Amino acid sequence: MTFSHECIVCIVNTGFSDAVMDAAREFGARGGTVIHGRGTASREAERFFGISIQPDKELVLILVPHDLTDKILHALYRAVGLKTPGQGIAFSLPVDQVVGLSVFSPDASGEAPAGNGDA
Amino acid sequence: MEQNETKRRRSDRPEKKSAPKKKNAALTAPKKLKLLFTVVDRKKAELFSDLIGGYGVNLQIVLAGEGTAKTETLRLLGLDDTARAVIVSVIRDDKAPAIFEMLEEKFESVRGGKGIAWSVPMTSAVGVAIYQFLSDYREGQDPARGNERGSRP
Repeated sequence: MTFSHECIVCIVNTGFSDAVMDAAREFGARGGTVIHGRGTASREAERFFGISIQPDKELVLILVPHDLTDKILHALYRAVGLKTPGQGIAFSLPVDQVVGLSVFSPDASGEAPAGNGDA
Repeated sequence: MEQNETKRRRSDRPEKKSAPKKKNAALTAPKKLKLLFTVVDRKKAELFSDLIGGYGVNLQIVLAGEGTAKTETLRLLGLDDTARAVIVSVIRDDKAPAIFEMLEEKFESVRGGKGIAWSVPMTSAVGVAIYQFLSDYREGQDPARGNERGSRP
C-alpha cells in the first residue's frame, strides 16, 4: 500500500536542525517542525562502540510527497548522518491522510501540487 | 473403589454455569487506531486540542515546536511567529474523516489558526485496558450507535 505523503522524522544533535532543513529543501521539501528532545542512548552501548552521544536532541518532522522521500533520506544521511557531527538518524512514516497543505505555485489550478510539505 | 469414590465426588460437584451470553452482543472487529499530528500556532494549541478532544480522543500530547519555514515563506503565508505546537493525538480510524473535515474547516475559519495535520496508522498497542482507553471503548455502549462523544461537537 502506498500513500501520497510520508512524514520524515530526523533526530539530530541540538543545533543541526538548520542543516537538516537545508539538505531536505535541496530535494524539494518545503518546511518542517522542530521539537526539542533528550536522547537516552545506552551508556554500555556508547562504551562498546566508542562513541559519545550528546543527550540534547532536535527532532525534525518534515511532511513530503512519497516520491521525494528516498532522495531526502539519502540527503539527510549524507548531511547529518551518524558519521557527521550531527549524528542524526532519519526514518519515514506512512501518512494516510493530510489536511492544511499550502498551494504555492501561481499556476496551480486547484489541484494539490507535489512538494508542499509545509509542516 | 477409590476410582468410584473419585467419580462420585466429581459428580457431586455443581456443574459450572457457562457465562450468560450477552444479548445483542455484536461481533465487531477492533477499531484501528491512528496517530494524528497537528501542527498549529502555539497560541492555538489549546483550542485545537479541545476540538480534537471532542471526538472521543482520550490521549493527546502537546509538544512545543518551532517552524522552519523561511521568512519569505512566512510572509507569504502571513505567519510571523515561528512558535508552533505539535499536538499528537491517538484517534480511531472511523473518526478520522470527521476529524480531518473539522480541522480543514477550522484551519480556514479560525483567525491565525492556519496549520497542518496528518495521520500515521498505528500497527499495534499492548494491553486490553490500554487499547480500550485509546479507542474510547466503553463497556455496554451500543455498537450500532457508537460513542456519543464521537459525534461532531
